[in-house]
Amino acid sequence: MLRLVHTADWQLGKPYGRFDSDVRAALSEARFDAIDAIGKAAAEHDVAHVLVAGDVFDTEGPEDRVIVQAVSRMQRYACTWWLLPGNHDFARNSGLWDRVRAKGATNIRILTEPVPCELAPGQWLLPAPLTHRHNLDDPTGLFDTMETPGASLRVGLAHGSIRDFSSRGEAQNQIAPDRAQRSSLDYLALGDWHGTLRVDVRTWYSGTPETDRFQRDEPGYALLVTLEGTVEPSVSPIRTGRFQWLTRSWTVVDAEGFAAECDRLLAQVEPSATLLQLYLSGIVSLSDKIAILSRLDNDLRHRLRHLAVTADDLVGRPSEQDLADLRVEGMIGTAAAKLMTLIEAGGSGGDTARRALERLFVEHQRGQDAA
Amino acid sequence: MSLRIRRIALSIFRKYRDPFVLDGLTDGLNVIIEPNETGKSTLLEAMRAAFFIRHNTANRLARSYAPYGEAVAPQIDIGFEAKGEEWAVSKRFLKSASVEVRGPKGRAQGEDAEAQLQALLGARRDTSQGGDVAAHGALGLLWVGQGQALEVTAPGEIVRDSVRATLEAEVGTIMGGAAYQRVRPRIDSQFAEYWTNSGRPTGRQLAARDEHDATQRTSSEAMSRLAALEQGFSELEAARARLKVLNRDLADTTDADQRRALAGQLDVARSAAQLLETRRAEQRRLIDRVGALEDLASRLATVRKAVGDTATALNKARESRSSLVGELAAAQERAATARDLLVSARDNRRNAHAALGAARTRAAERERWVAIGEAQRRHAELVVLEAEYDATRQLATAVIPTTVIKALEERQRAVDKARAAVDAGATRLEIAGDVSGLTIDGAAAERGDQMLSRETRIRLGNAELIIRPPLGLQGAETVLANAIDDLNAGLAEHGVESVAAARVRNEAVRDAVANLRTLEARIGGITPAVPLLAIEAGASALKLFLAGLQGGAEGEVSDESTDVEALTVAAGGADTALARAEGVDAVASEQLREMDARNAPLMVQEAGAERDALNAAAQLATLEAKPELASLEDTLRAARQQEAAAMVNLQDAERAATALDVVTIERQIGLLDKRVEVARTQRADLEKAIAGLEARIEAEGGKGLADRAAVAREEAEAAAANLARVTQAAETLKLLRDTLESACAETSRTFVGPVARRARRHIERLLPGSEPSFGDDLGLAAIARGGLGENCADLSKGTQEQLAVLTRLAFADMLLEQGVPVSLILDDPLVYSDDSRLDLMTEILTEAATRMQVILLTCRDRAFRHLGNRVSLTNDL
Repeated sequence: MLRLVHTADWQLGKPYGRFDSDVRAALSEARFDAIDAIGKAAAEHDVAHVLVAGDVFDTEGPEDRVIVQAVSRMQRYACTWWLLPGNHDFARNSGLWDRVRAKGATNIRILTEPVPCELAPGQWLLPAPLTHRHNLDDPTGLFDTMETPGASLRVGLAHGSIRDFSSRGEAQNQIAPDRAQRSSLDYLALGDWHGTLRVDVRTWYSGTPETDRFQRDEPGYALLVTLEGTVEPSVSPIRTGRFQWLTRSWTVVDAEGFAAECDRLLAQVEPSATLLQLYLSGIVSLSDKIAILSRLDNDLRHRLRHLAVTADDLVGRPSEQDLADLRVEGMIGTAAAKLMTLIEAGGSGGDTARRALERLFVEHQRGQDAA
Repeated sequence: MSLRIRRIALSIFRKYRDPFVLDGLTDGLNVIIEPNETGKSTLLEAMRAAFFIRHNTANRLARSYAPYGEAVAPQIDIGFEAKGEEWAVSKRFLKSASVEVRGPKGRAQGEDAEAQLQALLGARRDTSQGGDVAAHGALGLLWVGQGQALEVTAPGEIVRDSVRATLEAEVGTIMGGAAYQRVRPRIDSQFAEYWTNSGRPTGRQLAARDEHDATQRTSSEAMSRLAALEQGFSELEAARARLKVLNRDLADTTDADQRRALAGQLDVARSAAQLLETRRAEQRRLIDRVGALEDLASRLATVRKAVGDTATALNKARESRSSLVGELAAAQERAATARDLLVSARDNRRNAHAALGAARTRAAERERWVAIGEAQRRHAELVVLEAEYDATRQLATAVIPTTVIKALEERQRAVDKARAAVDAGATRLEIAGDVSGLTIDGAAAERGDQMLSRETRIRLGNAELIIRPPLGLQGAETVLANAIDDLNAGLAEHGVESVAAARVRNEAVRDAVANLRTLEARIGGITPAVPLLAIEAGASALKLFLAGLQGGAEGEVSDESTDVEALTVAAGGADTALARAEGVDAVASEQLREMDARNAPLMVQEAGAERDALNAAAQLATLEAKPELASLEDTLRAARQQEAAAMVNLQDAERAATALDVVTIERQIGLLDKRVEVARTQRADLEKAIAGLEARIEAEGGKGLADRAAVAREEAEAAAANLARVTQAAETLKLLRDTLESACAETSRTFVGPVARRARRHIERLLPGSEPSFGDDLGLAAIARGGLGENCADLSKGTQEQLAVLTRLAFADMLLEQGVPVSLILDDPLVYSDDSRLDLMTEILTEAATRMQVILLTCRDRAFRHLGNRVSLTNDL
């Protein structure tokens, strides 16, 4: 019996340059914390080998701090870490992996050569390291020729996409979807796909242990894999991720509806560990739009770890009441009417005018509140 | 509702050191006419102080209220009516300053009182140092100090707001308003975060742009550094691949084996080559020998042929020249003869011409001598003629003028007349017979008649007969005598004896004059011009010539007549002979030259042929002297056989040598050696390069360039997105601000119309048919008359002042409509108005006084004394 932890796509050192510096720091740190989460899970489940299926590092040239952090965190745990070069951190002479090796960690094995390794007697690991950012050949093709004398278990470790994944012409780093069967593998541990995915009973993508983009709502997982003879492998996900990256598209009718959506969302998540990308659409009155934006800016933004709002499709159309309110204000009413004319004319000038009218409305409301 | 001032009491206020009270002001027009320096302006100042200047201020204005140098408390009490209610204000400045307002709701003091006043009068707190009439609301506009109305000014903000408030209902638009006032500054301050006043990006826009640029720069730097590192990696990879190939090549033994085999072949090849060289040398020697022999033989043949050829040529040359010699001699002789003939012809010609010249000279000399003789003859003739001429001329000058002749004739006639008279009276005596002894007056008498005109004594013998003619005759005698005297005197004067003689003389003179002309012609005829002697026409020229001639003639000239004609013919003959001789000579010379030209090349040819013949003979002698000539044929044949044998040997040696070519083998060996050497050098170079690349990658690789580049790229993208957001916000704010601005301007314009309409009512009376035009600030900007606009500032001072008063009146009316308590106070108004305008203005003011209280303060008694309620200041002072 062999018990493994299958993980991939750590992407240590990912920059998150689009985020505020505090969010950026938290996200970067969370990726290192994922190593600890995996190490603890391994210890907890008495696992001796952790297979990392590529893209350990975000780039082939990370900062030294990233390497040291990674190595020192792995060294804390008794298990052996099998690191496979992926397309982000492909193997090459004098490259990244030489720098990792130079740190001299004994429980880290770096699989820069496509040479099978014996994890335990009769239990072979067949690695398919990437030596280029883009490989046109199936890197697992070599599995067929690898000698694994006296093998009771053959475990493949590779990085790339299953050929059937994308409909786009010639994808790179493609792996045959039936590789496990073809190369008589008991389990094929894959990396590259950031969500957990079962390709077939013996072929799995573990996904990234810490989500790094708005793509899927789930947090990151690692896979606990148990292999025993010819029995189907037992695979169970272990949550390792801290942050949830949520994407929501709400069609808003009015401020009340929006508030309800907000409340519903907040009830479901841990706000400080939530990053939200929110798309708002719909047509609301100007006062409602102001209320919505105010809720976003003054409340939701501060509660969540990160909030990115795209409200281009949320049209704040002044209601008759809005316009009537402005109209009695003399010059402000005149200005609003002028802007309405521009909005009706459309075009890019119309967009600017729409924003200007909203701004006018906001300031007017504020003025009224103050008065 | 008008504001009505009822009573004003002052004490210790500027001029008014003693308490002073002014009352008796009516609701309508009040005129205060006082001389200068009476305190009219102070009165207006005091009213302003009471209503608008805070009691507890100690600003410059308040301090000016106290009379100089007195630390006192200026006090003002005013009773007035506003909004139909009675009010009173008491204000004390500086020392123990206080204010009290009494109104329908009781008393108020201090700030409360000030606030009540401000609210009542629509003023705001005046925080200025010297008093700000704009803060005084409507009354700031309508209480016009001295000189303040001289220019048309726009009303202050408070008045504008009030007026607009009045008009809002009318035009249906709201000007400004609280909302606008709240919104506008905020938009402006937000705008200022993005734009400068002049519309250039600043603040957040600039910051976003700078950040964008900086991150872009950083990103591209990081990318290029990363690219350099990646380049290092690929170079390293390539270098390693090449090294691998090189090492494989170096390990290969094929080349070494081939080299060994080649070295063995090289020895064999070298000996064959040596043999070939020997054979070649041998063969070359034999070829040379055969060549030398053949050469000798051919030279001999050539020389022999040359000897023959040159001899022939020489003969031919000599032959062709000999035929020419005879012709040449003949030509030479002809030429000599022709030359001699030419010389003698020239001599003949010279002599003939000399003889001709001498003969001509002689002929000329003779001609001259003849001419001179002729001249002398003519001269002799001339002398005679000239003498005659002179005489005639003398005669011609003695003419007696006709008048004189007439006078003489006159006198003659007088004589005749007198004589007749005498004769008439005289006694005629006839003597006949023998007269001897008879005397008459002592003289012997003669026979014949005798006239006696005087006493005549006739004696005959002793007898004397005395005859006495009548006495009258004596007078006639006298007359006659006188006449005769006159006549004689005239005749004597002109040298004539009688009148007849005079006439004769004149006749002679006329003839002489005619004769003179004849003589002149004759003289001219004998003195013609003689060109040969250079004598011009005329007597003087002839005489001059002869005077210059010595001895009368130029010697003797031989009389031998020379035959010039014959000599001329002889000279012509000589000329012709010469020309002929010259022609003959030229032809002979030409022939001689031609012969020479034909002779010269033949001579050269002959000399050359001689020389060639000599040379050929000498060469032949030299060659024939050579010993080998004897057996030349045999020697040559033997040499040729040897050469053929050597050729066969050479071909054998060549066959042996080509089989193993030393050069080819050496080149192959060199090639192999070179290949090894190059590979070694390349390996060393590659190893060096690889070491360098590895070092570089190690140095750079640890810096996390890829991470940095990724970070920088994402930051740059974020900055770009931010820039877009900021730009959008900036554009939005700009549009919003511009829109607010134009809304404001538009609204302002809608308020101008009603104001203009109200003002026109008054202004039309002053300037009929004119159209006032107001600016956005409600200030009167221009007046249009007859379609022509005139800027207010360009109007006359008087008109400006009148318009200023009238527009104020218009505002006052509008404010009245709104229920603002207003009154009109004009200090020293209309100073520049003419009489008719002044009348019109006072009429308008009087009419206005029916709607509001009007107070005029003036020093001009005559202009205003007939108006309204007159109030005096001086009575109480």
